[in-house]
Amino acid sequence: MTRSARLAAQGLAVALVVGLLALLIWRVANDSNKGVSQALRDGQHPTAPAFDLSRLDGRGRIDLASLRGKKPIVLDFWASWCVPCIHESKRLEAARRQYGNRVAFIGVDTKDFSGDARSWQRKHGITYPSVHDGSGGVLTKWGGLPIPRIFFVARSGKVVGELVVEEDLPRYLRQIAAS
Amino acid sequence: MRPLILVVVAALLAVPVARASERHPTLNELEGEVMCPVCGTTLDQSSSPAAQQIKRVIASRIAAGDTKSQIKNQLVAEYGDAILAAPEHKGLGLLAWWLPIAGIIAAAVIVGAGAWRWSRRREPLLPGPPLDPALEARLNDELRRFDD
Repeated sequence: MTRSARLAAQGLAVALVVGLLALLIWRVANDSNKGVSQALRDGQHPTAPAFDLSRLDGRGRIDLASLRGKKPIVLDFWASWCVPCIHESKRLEAARRQYGNRVAFIGVDTKDFSGDARSWQRKHGITYPSVHDGSGGVLTKWGGLPIPRIFFVARSGKVVGELVVEEDLPRYLRQIAAS
Repeated sequence: MRPLILVVVAALLAVPVARASERHPTLNELEGEVMCPVCGTTLDQSSSPAAQQIKRVIASRIAAGDTKSQIKNQLVAEYGDAILAAPEHKGLGLLAWWLPIAGIIAAAVIVGAGAWRWSRRREPLLPGPPLDPALEARLNDELRRFDD
């Protein structure tokens, strides 16, 4: 092997190692982003991560970013296999009757079959629109499993809080409705 | 020769088995090829509600006569590519199948070439210094006597 060929091979090997190292660092840096839920626990109020997903009822899509500056949002992550989601979604449905004209209620059906999800909505009388996040990619940005996860987003697009105890629902609803 | 024949026969037998599996998949085999979306294991290792839901759907699609590809395509449409335990043999999925094999072959070639070069580079045995003429004559004399 000539000297130039040997140098080229060595350069290629070093470039490969550097590339793999950069990939590892990028991956670790991305993993360190624990999502909206962790940011809220750290006392921050991040801007709601945008998504643009198809509605479960087939009536087009919902682009979360398009609501920024227009309406506060309650975001409900649920699935038809999730038993505690029934109770929480019913509470949100009841709250929607009171706040529906001032606050947008949006469900995110995650890691679920869309057919089962539609049946579940009919069965439990949930009427606010939901989008389908089958891969769970959106859920991951907001904090991942377990569900239900319910977030409150102010009109400005900043996430105000996440429902932890039952009393959080009326408290955050009043807060974002006034935003 | 015999092992080669056995390999060819086994390969020929595997084709109809794979075709039968594609046309008439069983719940058991699909449970090992599909991931539970909330537990990070295949369906056969999970009894979570999400896994149970997918098992129910798979069973209903098998009963409806769907092929394995149709069932997998439906699952991918609902959950994305990550629902499959192994990447598909197409598109970027091919990389996941062939890249490790290509890597092993490349490594074997590099190691083989290195070993061959190393074996060729070994220094030849150098001839020793010339013997003293008196000593050489004595050695020849001794050998001659030994031959006699």
